[in-house]
Amino acid sequence: MGIRWSRLTPQLALAPAVALTAIAFIGSIGWTILLSLTSSRRLPDYTIDWSDPLRQYRRLFADLGWNIALSNLIILAIGSALAIVFGFVLAAMIERERRGEDFFRTVFLYPLAISLIVTGVAWRWIFNPSLGIESFFHSLGMTWVSFNWLADGRTAMYAIILASVWQSSGFYMALMLAGLKAINVEIWSAARMDGVALWRVYLEIIIPMMKFTFLTCAILLSLGVIKAYDIIVAMTNGGPGQSTWLPAYFTIKAMSAKGNLAFASAAAAMMLAITVVVFLPLVLLTAWQQRARKGAAG
Amino acid sequence: MTETSSPPAGTVMFPRPKKRIRGRSIAILVFLTMAALFFCIPLYVLVTTSFKTMDQIREGAIFSLPEVWTFEAWRYAWDEACSGITCEGLKRGFVNSLEILFPSLIASIAISAVTGYALALWSVRWAGGFLFLLFLCAFVPFQIIMYPLIVITVNMGIYGSIWAVAFIHTVLAMPVLTLIFRNYYKDIPPDIIKAAVMDNGSFWRIFIEIILPMSGNILIVVLIMQITSIWNDYLIGVTFGGLGAQPMTVNLANMVTVTTGTVSYNVNMAAALQTAIPPLVIYFVLGKFFVEGIAAGAVKG
Repeated sequence: MGIRWSRLTPQLALAPAVALTAIAFIGSIGWTILLSLTSSRRLPDYTIDWSDPLRQYRRLFADLGWNIALSNLIILAIGSALAIVFGFVLAAMIERERRGEDFFRTVFLYPLAISLIVTGVAWRWIFNPSLGIESFFHSLGMTWVSFNWLADGRTAMYAIILASVWQSSGFYMALMLAGLKAINVEIWSAARMDGVALWRVYLEIIIPMMKFTFLTCAILLSLGVIKAYDIIVAMTNGGPGQSTWLPAYFTIKAMSAKGNLAFASAAAAMMLAITVVVFLPLVLLTAWQQRARKGAAG
Repeated sequence: MTETSSPPAGTVMFPRPKKRIRGRSIAILVFLTMAALFFCIPLYVLVTTSFKTMDQIREGAIFSLPEVWTFEAWRYAWDEACSGITCEGLKRGFVNSLEILFPSLIASIAISAVTGYALALWSVRWAGGFLFLLFLCAFVPFQIIMYPLIVITVNMGIYGSIWAVAFIHTVLAMPVLTLIFRNYYKDIPPDIIKAAVMDNGSFWRIFIEIILPMSGNILIVVLIMQITSIWNDYLIGVTFGGLGAQPMTVNLANMVTVTTGTVSYNVNMAAALQTAIPPLVIYFVLGKFFVEGIAAGAVKG
């Protein structure tokens, strides 16, 4: 009796989660993709124009703002990768030295507890041309230093990269530190006995051993880059001009401002496509790595 | 930095040449300290600017300490500063954020814990497929489901209220949290459940009497993860909160980006700090669980 009863209840308990997944995720994704194939403007219109269903996508790729957003996405991804490198260096140093580990970890990680809006406000203030860090350097007599990055479309993305690196390095440091601590100490002693230089131990033994951690970091980094929105709102609001637009920013702007639903849906669908194209290989590679690791351990 | 000749016991397993330790240690500590200073710059600048008078700020020395420490900017940011068309300060957003936080926490943790428990410990035939689906959902960008969710919340009659924001937080957190709970519960020996079922324990009784009391650690980790992510959220609040239920982050963003006339930097910085303080307090008090939460949220399945 108990078993029959138990068969049904778990499935009933799962019903809310299944319903949410079906409606809020799968159904909604299908809904948005459907909208992207129509010519809906302010209100949804579900008739697909079969003669030219990809019209919105063509418009999208002809749109200057979208192309800027795409190239900024790549710039931000490359720039933010510095956070992984920086995070690894910090983790390796903390792990080597061990003195002050708790202190340094706490300091490097606190930006993660802060809203990106606050982060953006703080960095925008630091980059303030007349009162911020630039005027500090000028008052020291170094008048050739320019930190007026946010006012120039060519440098504004670098300011955003700096703020994102500041915000996320601690996070990668924490992941890397966990990865480093999992490495068998005997590998160190063996390598050192052989007289291998320290940097070569890291480069040739440790980093290859931490492939899985690096892959995880890469996945999370690209996820963060595609989602990047708050920091843009707080630091530049897309400006100057359209120079700091990103796909997430472009899509929200199209959704809320233009009253061009089908076009915005096409942008959202492209964001999903980018996610799939970037993640599927990374996630599969990670799963494969994990399996290989388990196989080696067992 | 003082040098101790013997390393802490149990940390170093192999002999290192003594002479080289000193120089390298000092170099590492100097580098780490400089990095720490870099990380502290924004917080330092936020704090000092928020206590300065505008007269001192206009002098342009961003790193100087306040000549006169004044709480005026803090009071103004909390009580009077204008955000959009209303000028009630941040206190309204603070209350909204709290009102969003509690239902979001309860709903998201309840649904994810129960789902994770059912998937981990009860042999549901389609559990594997559903878990994989949840794993994929965890990566979906918000923008692709944003418009349908707006339509759904409008039809539910909650759009523009704290309930819409809480509902969306629950929906978006569900995949990741379920995976975290499931991973935690799957290590519970199935014999415990079998014995409990024999003992006429039902699905819910086992959950409440056996599983929940075992979940203390994971609950704290998830709670901290959720508090910081809900409190720091901007996009969901601005999209679903309408004008009446904007969280503190949205008020802050409006305050600092839509300013007319002279900008009061001290007020902006005080407002930013007020928004950052709740999660920072949690971080500094419960840092250990915070790190665990990051690791749990990062690995996602």
